[in-house]
Amino acid sequence: MNFRLVFKICGRLLMVEAAAMLLPLLVALLYGESPRPFLYSIVIIAAVGFILSQLPSENHFFIREGFFTVGMIWVLMGLAGSLPFFYSGYFTSFIDCVFESFSGFTTTGATILTDVEVLPRGILFWRSLTHWIGGIGVLALSLALLPSLGARSQYLTRAETPGPVVSKLTPKQSRSSIILYAIYCTLTLLEIIALLIAGMPLYDAVLHTFSTAGTGGFSSMNLSIGAYGNPVFEMIIAVFILLFSINFSIYYLLICRRFREIWKSDELRFFLTVVVLATVAVSLNIRHLYDGLGEAFRYGFFQVVSIISTTGFCTDNFVLWPEFSQMLLVLLMLCGACAGSTGGGMKCSRILLLLRCIRRDIHQVLHPRSVVVVKLDGKGVDEDTLRSVLIFSSSYLLITLIAALLISLDNFSFTTSFTAALTCVSNTGPGLALVGPHGNFHAFSSLSKVVLSLCMVIGRLEILPILVLFSRNAWKRA
Amino acid sequence: MKIIIVGDGKVGFTLAEQLSRENHDITIIDTDEQVLRHAADVLDVLCIRGNGAAITPLKEAGVESADIVIAATSEDEVNMVCCLTAKRLGAAYTIARVRNTDYASDYNAMKKELGIDMIINPELATAIEISRLLRFPNAANIDTFCRGRVELMGFRIQEGDFLCGKPLSEQSNRLKNLPILFCAAERGEEVYIPNGGFIPMPNDNLYVIGEPVGLSQFFRLLGRYIPKIKTVFIIGGGKITRYLSTLLSKMSMHVTIVENKMARCQELSEQLPNATIIYGDGTDQELLESENLGSSDAFVALTDRDEDNLITALYARHLGVPKVVPKANRQNYTGIAQSVGLDSVISPKYITAEQILQVVRGMENSKGSVMKTLYRIASNKAEAMEFVINETTEHLGIPLKDLPLKNGILVALIVHQNRITIPEGSSVMRQGDTVIVVSRDHTILDINDIFRTPLLDKDRRPL
Repeated sequence: MNFRLVFKICGRLLMVEAAAMLLPLLVALLYGESPRPFLYSIVIIAAVGFILSQLPSENHFFIREGFFTVGMIWVLMGLAGSLPFFYSGYFTSFIDCVFESFSGFTTTGATILTDVEVLPRGILFWRSLTHWIGGIGVLALSLALLPSLGARSQYLTRAETPGPVVSKLTPKQSRSSIILYAIYCTLTLLEIIALLIAGMPLYDAVLHTFSTAGTGGFSSMNLSIGAYGNPVFEMIIAVFILLFSINFSIYYLLICRRFREIWKSDELRFFLTVVVLATVAVSLNIRHLYDGLGEAFRYGFFQVVSIISTTGFCTDNFVLWPEFSQMLLVLLMLCGACAGSTGGGMKCSRILLLLRCIRRDIHQVLHPRSVVVVKLDGKGVDEDTLRSVLIFSSSYLLITLIAALLISLDNFSFTTSFTAALTCVSNTGPGLALVGPHGNFHAFSSLSKVVLSLCMVIGRLEILPILVLFSRNAWKRA
Repeated sequence: MKIIIVGDGKVGFTLAEQLSRENHDITIIDTDEQVLRHAADVLDVLCIRGNGAAITPLKEAGVESADIVIAATSEDEVNMVCCLTAKRLGAAYTIARVRNTDYASDYNAMKKELGIDMIINPELATAIEISRLLRFPNAANIDTFCRGRVELMGFRIQEGDFLCGKPLSEQSNRLKNLPILFCAAERGEEVYIPNGGFIPMPNDNLYVIGEPVGLSQFFRLLGRYIPKIKTVFIIGGGKITRYLSTLLSKMSMHVTIVENKMARCQELSEQLPNATIIYGDGTDQELLESENLGSSDAFVALTDRDEDNLITALYARHLGVPKVVPKANRQNYTGIAQSVGLDSVISPKYITAEQILQVVRGMENSKGSVMKTLYRIASNKAEAMEFVINETTEHLGIPLKDLPLKNGILVALIVHQNRITIPEGSSVMRQGDTVIVVSRDHTILDINDIFRTPLLDKDRRPL
């Protein structure tokens, strides 16, 4: 392991993060708030980043360094991102700050704050900005900005990009990153404009857009989007959540006018079908709670979209909904958005491959000597990919269960413990019972908060990069 | 540039590796998932699975806007169809690898009729390269510039050479007066551009440039002069051997070939009436000795197995054969081979890649100053390039010693009005001159790339 190069890259990334903090600093100054939390953090992070980035190193960089670096960067970024919270004085302990920061970067949106609205605007802005940065990935951003890492840099993005198979848009990784970010920024701008036209104040519009773009879920309101009670806002946000949870390469194909390939995308069709079916089911199930089906659809659609995309905004307290709807939302949380989007969860393409594997195995029981190739988008998927999908799914569930076990030490109900673990691993935000949309993670012990923070990074980086950090072999010099 | 490489084999991969490093947009098409995965793992390229001669994968790769399509699959016919299709779909330039000897006589007709812009035959190219090494046996490797009037040769310094241990500036006057220049030196993993203070050490690989006459004088002075080669011993009777023997016979060298398949021996004997064909195992020492390998002037090992080639080459060296050329397909062996004294290791995939690379770079340089030739020397760590100076070149007429050259750049030779000169500090570059530049660590695409930050030096330009 080439530790020097790993930390050198980490150093560069920290400097990028310090630069990103200039934005909330500006917001704080604009609203006449104390700039100190950001000034301190920027100085500390930039100094550490600069020292690390000056490390002399060899150019030995392979896949293991790639995975290790990604895991390391996300942990370091999360820790560094907690500094402004820490210096703001609104948080009770450093662990709380770390939880909030990890929740931000991993686009989870779970919070330990009981009252969000008392926070200074600069801090709230930073909270939402972490969603935006974490959405597509810090590494993709840095590759777009600093392509100097060269050909090996794809080890980094591959470890960071969600999904079973990573497809590049163009031959050059750095160009792909730039295109990705261009799409991301365009969609972000469109949403801000749409919300402004609908009448949301600029500050709120920007904040909620950042949270939507990263499919995060931090809001500046205690009641999330529900606080506005405005169906237009809800629909705009719901539509953009859908847009952000679709594989971004679809947009690239759209720009290149390759419509036939879009139509061929199994994952997109699967995702949209699930959204439609779940919306219908939930709307019918909750219709007696609201005035008519229209109202039920308004709340049902928003919640389905918000949960399957793993955003975690809410317009009503779905903990009070019938059990069927709650259970369905938990399942959607597990399923998650499309690969290559900013959403979390297990990703639709994996679920789809899993279902097809099951179908194949049933087929092979009936016809033991039959040869069936599992296909995705009309192309055969090789066995290695299928195997990694299976391993991923089982370890995903295993990690969720272990986390739930550790959290149960706090003696909360099964629903609370389990959905808290699941919502963190799938980067959603709200769970059920105590951690429901109107609840928060304040009551958990420090141990649980650390476990949940780790769950969030594991879920965001899709398990392996973080587990590599815990492997004894990885820490050997060789 | 947008380049599509069809076929991710040895040559395809090597090309993708080098071209993507030079910042081209590379898309690879192949049918084999596994090799594609490997390419996607280690290279910054886009991989598409499919048959490169079919229209759909080519379109998916964006053939309409491709600058170059290189077909390098193992099948000649696939390569030809691929180029034909690509050209029809709008590719600007197509290169096909065609190795079957049946097509060898029709290259020109194929270029015209099929729209293939360049045909590469790896075996023929390799044979030509080997024949060049045998023609100039003094050098471990040799590259030619200015239509053969200038040569760049690499050789290894041995214990006891008079060059050892003395800075270049303090060498004898006889050496200094020779019209040659030491332009690069490879020591272990490092490559140096030597200056007057450079002290040659044993086992350094030194590269020297100059006119052929000057170079032979130099090797004579060094006591390393090998007289003209008259007999060549080849083991392995493949396609390269066949092309090579034909070339060597034309140069009136006598060729002995050892081949271990009877049918192939008979074919060779039919095709090469002047060669001695021996049926037997080329790695069998007794056979080699009985055929008196030790007394031949050169030994070329061209079997399929790199290991056999290298070991038998070592054996030939041990017997005292002056010039030994083994073939090794795996590049990672070259370094090891050099460390045990085998300097002239030949790698067909690199020769093929190099040829294509030259075309690609040449196309890129169609604007600005024209790069006429490019060679990679010192294990690909340095490059030697030939440029023609035209009106776009900066800093014309300034003595070399005042030029703001980047580190690791050497102007090795200037041809002014057909006169070849080794430049001194007072020499100047003028419009119409041909210059040869040696560069370490830099990718030079235009002659102006050799200058440090040309923006800052604008005021020093002659008006």
